[in-house]
Amino acid sequence: MLEILGTIGANIISLPGILGLALGMMTRRIWLGALMGGIVGILTTVIFAHGSFAAAGTFELLVAIVIGLCAGSVGSVIRIKGATV
Amino acid sequence: MADSPEKRGWIGRLWNWIWTPAVAFSSGFLILAGFLAGILFWGGFHWTLELTNTEEFCTSCHTMETNLGEYRETIHYNNHSGVRAICSDCHVPHEWNHKIKAKIMAVKDVYHELAGTISTPEKYEEHRLSMATAVWKKMKASDSRECRNCHNFDYMDFTLQEARAASEHQRAIDENMTCIDCHQGIAHSLPPGYQERYQEVTETLASKKQDRLQQQAAADGDDIKSFLSTRAD
Repeated sequence: MLEILGTIGANIISLPGILGLALGMMTRRIWLGALMGGIVGILTTVIFAHGSFAAAGTFELLVAIVIGLCAGSVGSVIRIKGATV
Repeated sequence: MADSPEKRGWIGRLWNWIWTPAVAFSSGFLILAGFLAGILFWGGFHWTLELTNTEEFCTSCHTMETNLGEYRETIHYNNHSGVRAICSDCHVPHEWNHKIKAKIMAVKDVYHELAGTISTPEKYEEHRLSMATAVWKKMKASDSRECRNCHNFDYMDFTLQEARAASEHQRAIDENMTCIDCHQGIAHSLPPGYQERYQEVTETLASKKQDRLQQQAAADGDDIKSFLSTRAD
């Protein structure tokens, strides 16, 4: 349980959460925001596994992608709600 | 009207303020203010996080006295060069993602301090093996990542080491071993039965890895079979 919470929290205040949110705020298309966040999640996990997909844990990868997707979607919603352009 | 600003509570007014376009500030002002606020927030956050990495912070809890006493007897605390490894050097990863995960997981230490799980020497000894096992598991799984922040095989001069150490380090390289395979108890006393328990940790992690490789091999096999059957058709 603690392992799961730690991984989720770490991803929220790491690249998938922060960069995912920022990229999501660049578009009004929620799917695009989520996609960009998800890609950040994949890249982050691979970068932290020293560039090797084999070394990246499935669970870590999955959590990073989900957090990236959520952050990207939230970013897009913020753009829709909070910008006139 | 229930929707009028006068009728809203403070949460409603705050929500409305957040989503109303700024009319009093220019975009440049907002960007600069956000940038400065970001630096202040991030600096403060990082500074606070680093405070939780100090030896004083780690040992400020009563339950850490035993570990501290044991650590003070080791070469990582006191040595000829004066270079020291403090608690966080071995127990907190340097990489951001891993560090934050470790910090969040360390919340359990606060709980156990309050619950008094290891508040007496007897309780401490009772839990010593399980606590050591948790650390070994982490270190084995991460290929002793925290040890390698300071120690690196690439820069070890085996000619300066004792013959036994040099030959063991060479064996470690040849057999793809990791630091914790030999250096358990480098900073804290070892509990009875530690060798059997470490063996269990190694076997569990190895079987998990083996399962993963087998699943991957089976999946690859299925892909090849389906490709060949498609070609045959």
